[in-house]
Amino acid sequence: MKLVEPRHPAAFDNNSIAGQSYNQLEAPICVDRVTKEYLGGRRTALDAVSVDINANQVTALIGPSGCGKTTLLRLIAGLEYPTYGDVKMHGKSIRGPGPERGMVFQAYTSFPWLTVAENVARGMKIQGVPKKEQQERAEHFLRLVHLEEFARSYPIELSGGMKQRVAIARALAQNPEVLLLDEPFGALDAQVTWEMEEMVVEIIEREAKTIILVTHDIQEAIYLADRIIFFTRQPGRIKADLQMDFKNGRRFLKKEDLLAEPGYLDMEKQLYSMMREEIKGQTS
Amino acid sequence: MSVSEDFSREAEPGRGAPRFIPPRQHFFEILGSVSNSQAAVLAVLGVVGWLGAWELVHFFTPEAHQKFVPGPGQVISEIFHLIVEKNFVPDVGKSLYRVYLSFAVACLVAVPLGLFMGAFVKVKALINPTVGGWRYLPAASFVPLLLVYFGPTDLAKLTLLFLGCVFFLIALILDDVLSVPKELIESAQTMGASRGHIICRVIFPAAAPRILDSMRNMIAVSWTYLVIAEIVAATDGIGAVMMRASRFFHVETIMAGILVIGILGVMTDIIFRQASRILFPYTFMRR
Ligand SMILES: Nc1ncnc2c1ncn2[C@@H]1O[C@H](COP(=O)(O)OP(=O)(O)OP(=O)(O)O)[C@@H](O)[C@H]1O
Ligand SMILES: [Mg+2]
Repeated sequence: MKLVEPRHPAAFDNNSIAGQSYNQLEAPICVDRVTKEYLGGRRTALDAVSVDINANQVTALIGPSGCGKTTLLRLIAGLEYPTYGDVKMHGKSIRGPGPERGMVFQAYTSFPWLTVAENVARGMKIQGVPKKEQQERAEHFLRLVHLEEFARSYPIELSGGMKQRVAIARALAQNPEVLLLDEPFGALDAQVTWEMEEMVVEIIEREAKTIILVTHDIQEAIYLADRIIFFTRQPGRIKADLQMDFKNGRRFLKKEDLLAEPGYLDMEKQLYSMMREEIKGQTS
Repeated sequence: MSVSEDFSREAEPGRGAPRFIPPRQHFFEILGSVSNSQAAVLAVLGVVGWLGAWELVHFFTPEAHQKFVPGPGQVISEIFHLIVEKNFVPDVGKSLYRVYLSFAVACLVAVPLGLFMGAFVKVKALINPTVGGWRYLPAASFVPLLLVYFGPTDLAKLTLLFLGCVFFLIALILDDVLSVPKELIESAQTMGASRGHIICRVIFPAAAPRILDSMRNMIAVSWTYLVIAEIVAATDGIGAVMMRASRFFHVETIMAGILVIGILGVMTDIIFRQASRILFPYTFMRR
């Protein structure tokens, strides 16, 4: 397992901002027999789901539409509560949202009245980071997502992909211990998605982070994740929990390098057939 | 943007290709475009057309009734007459003061209330049913009550103007606050924002452009209540001048009052629009 790497000089001691001191090898998030019902029990989004999310790994949640991926992410974020069971962070039950769990939403969530740089600095401002450090880190993360030229622009001037990069920079700048990404590239076209995926790999390389990525794109999941958790369609249960061992812990800065990797095709085939099973289950 | 600029500096514009002439736009072009100068010409045409229609009505009115249907020229010169001879400016000032002061107080009540109701469901459940009901009571029906309480004072008029718009304003602002995307609030929560921060630094700025728009629409309603307020036992203000004129069948004075209120209303509207441009430039960058 990869331990925390040295960081950018403008960065920070790992525990100073949102992250509390924690053991790198421990699972920071434990989902314990979680059932989530909606509409007074008439709809079950998640059915007795248990999973431990490992530190400094990318865990992808994948499954057909409506299987409860967003629901699980929102439970971890503390934006909703389970009906049964419990979601814990470092052994403590999650009782609301907090800066140690940063989130990038599927919809655009930049604050339109703030410039791009102010958007990125907002999380730090909330946490009382000194002004100067705010600026430095905002600059650093804007460079990371290749938006340094747009620091003074307003979100309305940006394209969809650029807005989503702002959201990612903003979530990273708040230095959360766990980063929750809900289909961050869902609204983007294929080529921009591809660029963004490579950017995420670049970021993971530099900033060791525990990331939970919701996606319905099989290739994206394999490319970015160390581990893929596959959900069944309604009610959402865990169908498979796959380690991406074929990657041997390597990350590929170019997506095409992954395709040549032995074991990649088998993994993709396996996931496709699982997806087909789920879709069939729906029509029959 | 910068890329295309660099291009055009490098070579001659269009790099030798002929300028493309887009097809001529129909007057009734769907989603067509209008340049600033075109818009100005059209606006002037509209005003002139309206004045012309008015003049025609005046012209074709039988001689005996023309006194009751003055033409635009007469009404406009009546405005100048009022200003120069009848000391009209303080009356206008008084009316402006009444509308703006009562409206400012209404905003001071409505903005926090709308904000709190929009932010806290329980506060909304507490207040909204009551406020919702008040909206259906015509403000004019409070006139007798206000006369009993305050007599023919300024306070009575200000209160009437206040009552006329505050409940609608609360409802509109509540809607504006409720239309703030939930994800915006939730993403602030996942940054660890406090409740105070979320209300003052997220919900309020997110709703502010729409709130200003609601204010712009409601102050128009305030102007419509002005005459009702000033008709009742008023000694000063545009409405009082019009009321006095009506006793002597001075129709051109009444119409001059109506026109002045209209002009002041349009000017108020322009002020609000400009304020919106200055306060929220980011909403005007791309449309
Ligand atoms: N607030 C809600 N009220 C009622 N039902 C809900 C609510 N939120 C989610 N659901 C239901 O829970 C199930 C899971 O929803 P969720 O949004 O988690 O799916 P998802 O896996 O993220 O789907 P997608 O890939 O389409 O985003 C769906 O059947 C959905 O209809
Ligand atoms: Mg979803």
